[in-house]
Amino acid sequence: MFRKRTFQELIDALKNNENISYWHEIAPVAARYAPMPETVPEKLKAALKSRGIDELYTHQAEAFQAVQKKENIVTVTPTASGKTLCYNLPVLSNLAANPNARALYLFPTKALSQDQRSELDELIEAMESEINSFTYDGDTPSSIRQHVRRAGHIVITNPDMLHSAILPHHTKWISLFENLETVVIDELHTYRGVFGSHVANVIRRLKRLCRYYGSDPVFISTSATIANPKELAEQLTGEKASLINTNGAPSGKKHIAFFNPPIVNEELRIRQSPSKAVQQLALSFLKERIQTIVFARSRVRVEVILSRIQAGLENDELRQSVRGYRGGYLPNQRREIERTLRTGETLGVISTNALELGVDIGQLQVCILTGYPGSIASSWQQAGRAGRRQNESLVILAADSSPVDQYVFTNPSYFFESSPETARLNKNNVIILADHIKCAVYELPFAEGEPFDDLTWEDTAGFLEYLSESRVLHERSGKWYWMNDAFPAHNISLRSAAQENVVIIDQSIPAKNRVIGEMDTFSALTLLHDEAIYLHEGIQFQVELLDWDEKKAYVREVSVDYFTDANLAVKLTVLEIDEEKELAGGTFLQYGDVMVSAMATLFKKIKLDTFENVGSGPIHLPEQELHSTAVMLEFSEEAVEALGEEEVEQVLLGLAHVWQHVACVHVMCDKGDLFTVPQVKSAHAELPTIFLYDRYPGGIGLSDKIYKEAENVLEKTRSYLSGCPCDSGCPSCTGMTAAFDGINVKHWAARLLENALYR
Amino acid sequence: MSLLKKLKRMAPEPKEAAPQAAAEERPDFEKIGFYPFYLDGVRSQRRRFTTAWSDPELYDRLVNCLNFWQDTVHPVSVPKDASLLFFDTETTGLDSGAGTYIFLLGYGRVSKQGVEITQHFMEGPETEAAFLGGFLDDLGQEEHLVTYNGKAFDWPRVKSRHAFLQRELPRLPETGHVDLLHAARRFWKDTLPSCRLPVIEEKILNKPRTGDTPGSMAPLLYFEYLEKNDPALLEGIVDHHAQDIMSLIELYIVLSEKLLFPEKSAMTVESEASALWWYQLNETERAQEHFRHADKLDGSSSFKRAYYKALIHKKRGDVHQAAAVLENVCSAPLQGPYYVYEELAKLYEHQLKKMEAAQSLLTPLDESRMTDKERTKYRHRLSRVEKKVLQRENE
Repeated sequence: MFRKRTFQELIDALKNNENISYWHEIAPVAARYAPMPETVPEKLKAALKSRGIDELYTHQAEAFQAVQKKENIVTVTPTASGKTLCYNLPVLSNLAANPNARALYLFPTKALSQDQRSELDELIEAMESEINSFTYDGDTPSSIRQHVRRAGHIVITNPDMLHSAILPHHTKWISLFENLETVVIDELHTYRGVFGSHVANVIRRLKRLCRYYGSDPVFISTSATIANPKELAEQLTGEKASLINTNGAPSGKKHIAFFNPPIVNEELRIRQSPSKAVQQLALSFLKERIQTIVFARSRVRVEVILSRIQAGLENDELRQSVRGYRGGYLPNQRREIERTLRTGETLGVISTNALELGVDIGQLQVCILTGYPGSIASSWQQAGRAGRRQNESLVILAADSSPVDQYVFTNPSYFFESSPETARLNKNNVIILADHIKCAVYELPFAEGEPFDDLTWEDTAGFLEYLSESRVLHERSGKWYWMNDAFPAHNISLRSAAQENVVIIDQSIPAKNRVIGEMDTFSALTLLHDEAIYLHEGIQFQVELLDWDEKKAYVREVSVDYFTDANLAVKLTVLEIDEEKELAGGTFLQYGDVMVSAMATLFKKIKLDTFENVGSGPIHLPEQELHSTAVMLEFSEEAVEALGEEEVEQVLLGLAHVWQHVACVHVMCDKGDLFTVPQVKSAHAELPTIFLYDRYPGGIGLSDKIYKEAENVLEKTRSYLSGCPCDSGCPSCTGMTAAFDGINVKHWAARLLENALYR
Repeated sequence: MSLLKKLKRMAPEPKEAAPQAAAEERPDFEKIGFYPFYLDGVRSQRRRFTTAWSDPELYDRLVNCLNFWQDTVHPVSVPKDASLLFFDTETTGLDSGAGTYIFLLGYGRVSKQGVEITQHFMEGPETEAAFLGGFLDDLGQEEHLVTYNGKAFDWPRVKSRHAFLQRELPRLPETGHVDLLHAARRFWKDTLPSCRLPVIEEKILNKPRTGDTPGSMAPLLYFEYLEKNDPALLEGIVDHHAQDIMSLIELYIVLSEKLLFPEKSAMTVESEASALWWYQLNETERAQEHFRHADKLDGSSSFKRAYYKALIHKKRGDVHQAAAVLENVCSAPLQGPYYVYEELAKLYEHQLKKMEAAQSLLTPLDESRMTDKERTKYRHRLSRVEKKVLQRENE
C-alpha cells in the first residue's frame, strides 16, 4: 500500500491540485554542435577527446572564434551548458602557443574559484603541458605566493584579492601585468549594485596598470540570463563587447507550476504561509527519495522550513540527508554540503539565494521557490538548479500574500514573456569612485591630463584636488602622489557598506564556546539583538548577549515554539534636491540626496505554527547612518484635505507599501535594495511625502531610474492597486493596514495616484 | 562639477593648502647639510660627511673581527674582499605596497679615519629616479649590507621601488646581507623588553638617546615638509637616521665579538646564544668554548648546557663522556627539565646498555614537574625500561 510513487505520478497528482494556478511546460531542446575549430592546438584537442569532447556546442565555438579575433565577449548561457569551456578553450589555446602569456580569472567568491580550478587542472593535466594554474586568495600559503606571482600562467582569484593584494603590490606581479592577455570574469550578473560599482572601479585600476606595463588584455565574461548582459559587460570592463547567446546545449523537458496557497482569511485576504505549503510539497518528493532543492528568501525562512521538514520525516537517515545552506555557515561546512549534493548523499537542501550562484552541486530533479525571488533573473537562475540534460524536471513557484507575488501570479505572462532584469551598477558613485581614485594613486601617481579609463581628466581632476586638499595626495610638478602612511585598500570593502561582521558564538556547553557563523552588522541589528531567536542548521539559539563594541553575539541552544521578528525605525533627512518636476494635481516629484538613520526598536515573538504575535521586547542598539539618493513623492495639502492626520498616515503607509513593491519589480532589484518611508508632514516641505531611497551609501542609481520613469511606475502602481480583488486594501496590495477603522485605504491610495497622474 | 560638490558635502572640509615655493637655490637644504647633485638633469639632495671614531679602538676591534670572519661561514660573517655598507632607510609608511615611498636612504662606510655617512634625500616623489639613481651610482661591486631588519623591511622596499622605476634605472646589484635584528633576537629576546634598536642602544651599547626625533614620526614629518617645503622640519629625522647608522656599526662590532670571542660575553644568555648558534651551524668546537665560558660565568654547569655538551660528545662518538656530563647535572637534588634525563636514559638504554642505571635514573622523577607530553613520553620510556630489566633478570 505504501509502494513508491514515481516522479511521473507525483507530477500528475500535482497537476490536479486545486491550488495550482498555472502550469507551463518547456519542451526538451536538442543539442546543436559545431566542429572543433582547426586552430585549437593538437594537444588540447587530444585532451578534450580524452574527456569525451569531440565537437563543441555552437556557443563554445562562437566564443572561441571571437576571442581569436581579439574581441571582448560576453556569453549568456543557462546552468550546466558547458560555459567554462567558453573561456578555458581560448585561454589554454593561447597558452599552448605562447608560454609567456598570462591569464587572470575572477570569480565572485572564493568557493567558486576552488571549484573551477579543479576542473581546469584536469584539462591541463590531460594536455600534459607545462601550464601552471594557481588560486591566489587569503588561503594561499605565503610560501608559494612568490611562485604564483612569478610563474602562474593562470591566476584564479576574486575581486577582493585583486583590489587589496594584487593591484597595490603590482611591483611584485610584473610578469603578470606585462604579459596579461586574457581576463575572465565569471558570473558577470553578480557584479551589480554596490559590489558591481566597486568592481568596475577595480577593473579601471587593473586596466590602468596593464597600460603602464604595456599589456592590453581581452575580457571574457560569462553571465546568467539578464536583460542587458552586453551593456553590463561594457560598463564593468569599460570595453566594447560582443554578445554570444546561441546556447547549443541540450535540455530535458521542464515543468513549471505556480502554486498559490489557499486563502485562510477571506476578509483580510490572507493566504496560507508559503513556507507551510513548500514544506508539504518538499516532503512529498523527499519521501520518495527524489533530490529536491528549496529556495527561501531569508535566512530565518531557511531555518524554519528546514526544521519543519526534518520534523516531518520519520526516518532518521532521511532526516539527516536534508540540510540547510546559507551565508553564515562556515566555509568547510558549505563545501561538505555541496559535495554531498553532487554525490547524492544529501537528498534535500533548503537554501537562500546563496546557492543561486554557479557553485557546482550537480543538477537536481525538483526545485521549489518559496515566494517569487524578486527578480526574473533570479527565478530562472534558481529554477536552473533543477533540470538535467536528458531527464524531466519540475520547478514549483509558491506565492505568498505580498503584492509582488500576487502580481506575478495574476500575470504569468510577465514571468514567461517579459524580458529578464537589467543589472545596474553606478561606477561613478562619488563615494565609491573617490575611494578607488585613492587606491589608483597609491598604485601609480596620477599625471595631469591622464584619463581614468573611461573618465576624462575633467572628471577626475576635481577628485585629485579634493584629495590633496585633504592631505592624502600631494601634487608635485603636474603629478599627484600618494602621501599618507595608510594603505587605502584595507579600509575599502567591495562587498557592503558595513565593514565589520558580527561573530556568532555558541556557549551552550560551558568552557567549550565555539564560533558557529558570522553576519554583517546591518543584518545583525534585526537578527542578533538580545533575546533574538537565531536559527542555525535548523537548531534554535537564543541570543544571550550581543556585544556591539566587540561585534560578538553569544548564543545558547534553546527549544521554543516561536521565532523573532524585529522592527527597524527609519528617519530621513533631505540634504539637497538635485531635480524636481511637477506631476498633475499639485503633486511634485523630487530627486536628491538624503541621510537615512536606521535603528532597531523592538522585536516581536511570533508563534511558529500559527504566526501569531505572542510577545515583544525592546532592542537597544546604536543608530546606523546612511547617505543615499532618494525620490520624494510630495502631495499637496488639498489632496488630503478630507482626512485626519492619522488617516493620512495610514493611506501613505499603504501607498508606500505598494509603490515600493511595484518599483522593485520595475527596476528589477532585490526587495531590500529600495526602501520607502512615508512622512505625514515632511521636515523639509511640511507636506505629505513618500520617500523611496537606495539602500546603499551614495545610491546605486535605482531611485534615479524611478525618478526618470516616475509616471510609468506610478501608473503601474495604480493599475495594480485597482486591479487587486480586495475591497479596502489587503496584504497583497497596501499591506497590513487594511484593518484600519473608518477609511478605505486602498481607495484613498488609488485616488492620490489618480490625482497625481491625471488631474 | 556636481560629483565633486557631492563628495565635498559627504566628507568634512579639508584644511587650507600651504603655499609652494620652487626656488632653484636651496640654502635651506644646505643648512641641514644637504647639497644637490644632478642625474639626467634631475636634482637630488645628498649629504655626505665623515665623523672621526668616537672611540679610536672601535676601528681596530672591527678590523680584528673582520679578520676572524674571513675564514668562517656564519650569518654574521662577511667574505674577505667585501666592503661593508651599514644601511638604513626611512619610508612614508609601514606597508609594502606601491604607494609607500622611501624618502631617506643612507649608509655608512668605515675607514681608519672614521665613518663616512652618505644620506640621499628625495626632494619630492617626482625626483625618485634621481634619488634612487644616486644611490645605485654610488654602489660598488662587492658591497655587503649590514642592516637592522633590512631583510624583511628596507631591502624589499628598495627592490619594490626599483622595480617600479626599472626602465629609468641601472640594474639593482646582488649584495650580501647581514641582518642584525635576527642576531639581536637570538641574544636578547628573553632579557630585553623588545629588540627595537633604541632599546638595544640603551641596554647593550649603553648609549641612550636624548632629544631624539623618534623614527615613527618620519612619515608625518615628511608629509609636512612636502606641504610647507621647509627642509628644516626634517633636521631631527635626518640626524636620527645618521645616528641609526652609527649604532649599526657599533652593534655589528659588539655582536661579532660576542660570537667570535667567548670571553666577550658578559651574561650567560649571551654565551649560550653564541654557543647554540655555532652548534646549529655544526661548529661544535666553537660551541663548546662558549658553553664552557657560560659555566665559568655561572660558576657551575646547567641542565641545558650539559644537554648540548652531551650531544656534542655523542656526535663525536664519545658516549662515555656524554653520559658523564649528564650524570654530573642529573645527580643534583633539584629536578631539571625532562629532556635532559631522557637523553641520559637513551644513552644508558641504547649505547651503554645499562638498563638498571636507566631505571634508577627515571624512577624517582617527579611527574608533576613535566608537561603533559613529557609525562606520556616518560611513562612510556619507564615502562619499557622496566620490562627490559625484568627480561634480563629472567634470562
